[in-house]
Amino acid sequence: MAQRDPQFNQHVLVDTTPMPDHIPKVEEVGATSAYLTSAAYFIGDRCKAFNDDFMKCKDEGKGRGEIECLKEGRKVTRCAASVIKDINTHCLDQFKAHADCLENNNHYLFECRKAEMSLNTCIFDKLGLKKTIPGAPENQVPVHLRPKQKYAQYPGPQY
Amino acid sequence: MPQDMPPTGGYAQVQYKRNIPARGFKPFYYMVGMHMIMAYGFYKYFHGVREQRGPNYHKTLTNVSLCLVNLLAEEDRDQVRRYYADKAREKELLGTEHKVYHSDRFVRPTFAYTPSKVTQ
Repeated sequence: MAQRDPQFNQHVLVDTTPMPDHIPKVEEVGATSAYLTSAAYFIGDRCKAFNDDFMKCKDEGKGRGEIECLKEGRKVTRCAASVIKDINTHCLDQFKAHADCLENNNHYLFECRKAEMSLNTCIFDKLGLKKTIPGAPENQVPVHLRPKQKYAQYPGPQY
Repeated sequence: MPQDMPPTGGYAQVQYKRNIPARGFKPFYYMVGMHMIMAYGFYKYFHGVREQRGPNYHKTLTNVSLCLVNLLAEEDRDQVRRYYADKAREKELLGTEHKVYHSDRFVRPTFAYTPSKVTQ
């Protein structure tokens, strides 16, 4: 039984009709969740204007945002893809290390501060993107800069 | 007949008191200690909860404010592709287009199109 090849038929249940020609094509980001989580703050840093624009368009679309905001959506996707591409060219090792750590730790960012720290410094040096947590209180040290993480399995300083 | 009388000089003292010294501290001190332990626990709990629910805990923030926008755009594109495919299919089959809902809003379809021949 173990030698039997799996036979899937989900692909015939998916509507594979391509996008109509009057809508410009865009290449999807195509990154998996760990890589997206790892790069999220840098995507947010560079693409904040595009993201806000898209969300504003959807908000003002009165329920037709899906169809009318395709242009803004393409901008969002292109911007996110550009960030991923830049990280891949400049900080691939650190990016991989952090994403692997996230994969192994249930995508908990607090378990991977060491890998995250090296990724952050690399990206800040090479690309100039900085991780800031939106809405974090000003008078405290942000949680990603604390060496000790309360909920991590290892309670001591991670770096 | 002579009656039973107490012995001369009376009965000996019956010992009913236990002269064991009370063990441990006074109960008041145990009470104080319990409250100190509880105060420490609540202190730790407060800080833990504040970290977990406060604005610094950013597991949800990662998804919502930064990456979800990108995923949302992707999802919308896919929905629109299916929407146009559905419209084209309807036009081909029925020759007309009619609205299902009395509204111009985009509604996610409840029923999906599947090919008639599922397996090859």
